[in-house]
Amino acid sequence: MEKAKINASQLFVLVVLYEMGSAILVGMGAGAGQDAWISILLGMTAGVLLFFVYYCLFLYYPDLPFTSYIQKITGKWIGRLIAILYIVYFIYGASRILRDFGELLTTTIYTSTPLFVINTLMILTIVYAIHKGFEVIARVGEIYFAVIYILAIGGFSLILFSGLIHFENILPILENGWKPVIKTFLRETFTFPFGEMIVFTMVLPFLNEPKKVKMACIGGILLSGINIAITAVINIASLGTDLFVRSNFPLLTTIGKIQLANFIERLDVLFMLYLVIGGFFKIAIYYYAAVAGAADIFNFKNQRKLGFPIGVLVLFSSVTIASSYAEHIREGLDVVTIYLHWPFQIIIPCMLLILAFFRNRKKKSSPS
Amino acid sequence: MSILSNILKKKQKKRQNDNFRQMQDPGKPDELPIHRDYKDNIARIKEEYGNSTDISYREFKFCGSRGIAVYIDGLASNTLISDFFMETVTEEVREMVTDSFQQMIDFTAGLGNVESITNWNEVHDAILVGNTVFFLDGFQKALSVETKGWEKRAISEPSTQLSIQGPKDSFTETLRTNTAQIRRRIKSPNLWIESMKLGTVTQTDIAIMYIKGIANEKIIGEVKERLNRINIDGVQASGFLEQLFEDQTWTPFPTTHHSERPDVITSHLLEGRIALVVDGTPFVVTVPALFIQFFQAPDDYYARFDISTSIRLLRILAFFIALIGPAAYIAGTTFHQEMIPTTMAIAIAAQRENVPFPAFFEALIMEVTFEILREAGLRLPRAVGQAVSIVGALVIGQAAVQAGFVSPVMVIVVSITAIANFSTPVFTMAIAARLIRFIMMGLATILGFYGIMLGIMFMTIHLCSLRSFGVPYMMPIAPFNIRNQQDVFIRFPIWAMKNRPMFISKGNVVRTGENQKPGPPKQDEDQSSQGDS
Amino acid sequence: MKRYLLLTIYVFFLLPSLTACWNQKELTDLAFVMAIGIDKGKNQKFDVSWQLVNPGNVSSGQTGGGQGLPIAVYKSSGDTITEAARRATKKISRRLYYAHTNLVVISEGVAKTDLLDIVDALDRDPEFRTTTEMVIARGTSAENLVSALTNLDKLPVSKITKEIKSTQNMLGENMSVNVDDFISGIISSGKEPILNGYLLMGKKEQAQKAENLQSTKSDAYLEANGLAIFKNGKLKGWIENNNARGAIWILNKVKSTDINVEWNGKKDAISMASIRTKTKVSVNFKNGKPVIHIRIEDEGWISEANTAIDLTNPKVIEKLDKLVEKEIKRQIVNAVKAAQKKKSDIFGFGERVHRADPKLWNKLKRNWNEQFARLEVNVEVDSYIRREGIRTIPFWSTMNK
Repeated sequence: MEKAKINASQLFVLVVLYEMGSAILVGMGAGAGQDAWISILLGMTAGVLLFFVYYCLFLYYPDLPFTSYIQKITGKWIGRLIAILYIVYFIYGASRILRDFGELLTTTIYTSTPLFVINTLMILTIVYAIHKGFEVIARVGEIYFAVIYILAIGGFSLILFSGLIHFENILPILENGWKPVIKTFLRETFTFPFGEMIVFTMVLPFLNEPKKVKMACIGGILLSGINIAITAVINIASLGTDLFVRSNFPLLTTIGKIQLANFIERLDVLFMLYLVIGGFFKIAIYYYAAVAGAADIFNFKNQRKLGFPIGVLVLFSSVTIASSYAEHIREGLDVVTIYLHWPFQIIIPCMLLILAFFRNRKKKSSPS
Repeated sequence: MSILSNILKKKQKKRQNDNFRQMQDPGKPDELPIHRDYKDNIARIKEEYGNSTDISYREFKFCGSRGIAVYIDGLASNTLISDFFMETVTEEVREMVTDSFQQMIDFTAGLGNVESITNWNEVHDAILVGNTVFFLDGFQKALSVETKGWEKRAISEPSTQLSIQGPKDSFTETLRTNTAQIRRRIKSPNLWIESMKLGTVTQTDIAIMYIKGIANEKIIGEVKERLNRINIDGVQASGFLEQLFEDQTWTPFPTTHHSERPDVITSHLLEGRIALVVDGTPFVVTVPALFIQFFQAPDDYYARFDISTSIRLLRILAFFIALIGPAAYIAGTTFHQEMIPTTMAIAIAAQRENVPFPAFFEALIMEVTFEILREAGLRLPRAVGQAVSIVGALVIGQAAVQAGFVSPVMVIVVSITAIANFSTPVFTMAIAARLIRFIMMGLATILGFYGIMLGIMFMTIHLCSLRSFGVPYMMPIAPFNIRNQQDVFIRFPIWAMKNRPMFISKGNVVRTGENQKPGPPKQDEDQSSQGDS
Repeated sequence: MKRYLLLTIYVFFLLPSLTACWNQKELTDLAFVMAIGIDKGKNQKFDVSWQLVNPGNVSSGQTGGGQGLPIAVYKSSGDTITEAARRATKKISRRLYYAHTNLVVISEGVAKTDLLDIVDALDRDPEFRTTTEMVIARGTSAENLVSALTNLDKLPVSKITKEIKSTQNMLGENMSVNVDDFISGIISSGKEPILNGYLLMGKKEQAQKAENLQSTKSDAYLEANGLAIFKNGKLKGWIENNNARGAIWILNKVKSTDINVEWNGKKDAISMASIRTKTKVSVNFKNGKPVIHIRIEDEGWISEANTAIDLTNPKVIEKLDKLVEKEIKRQIVNAVKAAQKKKSDIFGFGERVHRADPKLWNKLKRNWNEQFARLEVNVEVDSYIRREGIRTIPFWSTMNK
């Protein structure tokens, strides 16, 4: 494991950037129509509860990353197998986000540029960051956290002053009852992005004050959840439910509608700025988790050596996982949520926690 | 990059051994004792210095024994020595019969610091720094008398780092004058100066200055260690030193700070930094240097805080313009035409209608032309420099536009970028922006704003990975430290700048006393309210 | 690591050589499409006219600028918009660039039949902006409208878009409607879209010639005129003048306007200019049927008084207030009636009902337009005259003495 040390505020910033990452870009919870924000907030609440599972696991093994304590809990060989599955899951997660990100650029601004090129440049930047280590990623995170907030406040006031917000678009609340909201919550908002906190189990041991893990992570989840919900509300309020549901990237459409003083308009680049920052952190953290996990399992002393090969893997799988954007999204909603997110984010950690509970009780009781 | 460095390392290793021997030869002779016969001594000096013409010898008679004074003409003060012989060594003294060596010490004490030396090493050291060495016949030792007195440049106004409200003096090429200027500003015994010599041939004096109790001991140790590691024939200027002991070579960003202003160095010392004065350069180096430090101009502290804050923000904005100005132009006109307001897009399109080059080459040509002009302007004699700038302005501003080679917008972009670049207070940082600008232009040509953003991302990662003497380069920003924000983007009022920067000064961080906020006297308020009632 | 770095550097230096075919496009290779005119085609479904800007002739300051005509119009046809656009490249040397398109003109013929077939092309393309203004060419072809030259604004497009905005702000008979608004009107079951009509007045054949710009009084000019009402995505008819203003008033888009009232038997004696006005639409339910309440608050000043009247008397002002209220109410009611006659809910009353009672709405949704035609609408106006300009009593009062 790398010898990195980060402080609580850096962890908090990373959690926020990671959770918001791509969630703000895509139409989160579109299945719930104008009640998307409710399902996002539900997702957030469930995400906090889920985090307590990870946190309890962390409390049992505060010095070890996830891939290490799996082996302690379930035994060496089964543990390794699960850990390798997790590494593959992380790599897949990174390449999914990279694909999302590349697709966004190729459908909106770089229409005739190959996806591969866009992704390559992005992954090169991330490889460089991974090469520099986790501390550097955390520091970069602090800078861009401020940048994102300035952007968000600027963008929000522009939307406000252009008179785009019509809050009546959010009404009627719960038109079709709770059913679609709950459905979207279970299928989308719970696992993406809030369940993805599982990645942070790989980096929690880096924190210099383990006591503050709870504060930093839960604070991060809450802040990002509220931000995502606000974004959803703004999108719906300015686009209307219908356009919100029909848009690939509702935020882009909202920003495209900004028209101020006949001069400030067509601000897609502002959106792209956010996109690069958000995408960067989300991919970087997934990717870092994969690298750290692989180094841990295969006993690499210098995990920098793993950075480039895994980066290439992420790059190629990002291009090959789906043949079209529609397929990519369909996979994400139907296959990934049920067969990947649920088991990896929720079921396995819960089972591990139960096992760890019994194991540690035995340990405690045996010497006495 | 690392490939290059590896190659360099290998070559260095190969050469190191033979080089080292060569360097050793002229610099350090043996530690042989001084001859008893003074004529042998002269012969030896003449042999070793190859009859160099700037070495002066004065034979004299003192207390009955003959002797000779050796010094370097120009380094030692001629008048001082002449006066000594004219006034002190009178007829009477010459014939005195006593212990002539002890007598000599007493007499020469009037000249300056006197030292008795016994071997040749010391003889050379003394002569080369401008001291006079007195050999007396029949003694196996000699006297080194401090008679330094070479021509010095007077203290003048700073020429590169100007300030409006600040003090007007600057460092000179003489180490002692420089340390004295700092000492005069910090009248505290805690200002410690340690000296060492660098350069196997040049034997350049270097002074390490810091305030004991404020500066971080760890960093002082690190500085000394790095200085001791340096093994090179000569250190001509502080720039050499900076390159020899900085943390990372493969970066365009400076990780050491230098200034020719004593007030700047003083404030750096007060913040706990370590200053290095190199003899022969009017620039004093301070470490550790942080990114934001290069945007802090001395005037920031002399003007009121609201004004200096806004000017500092302006400076940071200018840095960004200098960084991505032309790149943004390229991206805007070749990728993101939708971003430009319609009328402006049409105006730019009209201007570019007859320009034969694609935007990237147009920008590149103009930028390179400007850089050449700037470089030429620096090197040319002052009288010609004017002419060049006029020609340059005419060529760029007028003829090129009229001939239709470049569009007027491009000229505007290039000039704004150039002017913005000049507003960075420290040259080493400004030049980094100049270099990165070209990379940004390339990225903008490949992928427009996406390219630029990735470039900035790359740059940020790089900046965050840098360290200056163990202190993270982006220090109060990343890692973020709320207590140290008083001198970053916003310069707090002086009374509110309570803390010294973290990591740089350990332990002793509080600068100001309690309740420093100025205001009208409180008693008056009471009185006036009483008067009203 | 070395090898990877080498590879990275290699890839990086290789990239610029590949970029030529990507999204890079020099400004000089672009033809800025300022307006698109869509007509019914003879052989194919659509005839599309592309109004391109000629940059050198628009921007002043350049040597030789401003000599020729600011725009050029090309025409191509196709069964879809994309087909027409691609075919146009046979006639145009540069790449058509839509990001600065500010206007889409649709002929009445297309609006009555195939309007829906062009909307998705506008909506889907990432380059084309959905904030683009949409208008209907009235009584002339879209091509003629797109090719007309104007003399105050060099770009005819900015004349039209600015004109609509200034009318909306000063008179309130037209309002800015962009592609987005239009689409959301089409989709919504509780709202129908409206579009502005545009007329080409004067000698139509003169409109596209440079001479049109040479005289102070243009032989042909463009004029905003009327609001087009749609139903099921097809043009159903027009509402004009005061009715149009009433409609826009209900939509709460009127910023300022003028109202004339009768005083002492003299028609249009007093003119009030509104400076602030606000419309609130609410829904009540009576016997399970929705009833719409429109409440308008209006403030203004007297901009003209062409009769003897004591404007210093608050009672007179109060009386005037009542008269103005009555007049506004009349206009609003007429507008509602006009729309009900066409059975097209351009005011979005349906959406109000939807928000107020989603369950009832599910029942009404299917034939809402029929319901709309029989909807009970109450109008309530509160108007206040706040001041009367820089004269108190008009000269009429003293003249008659």
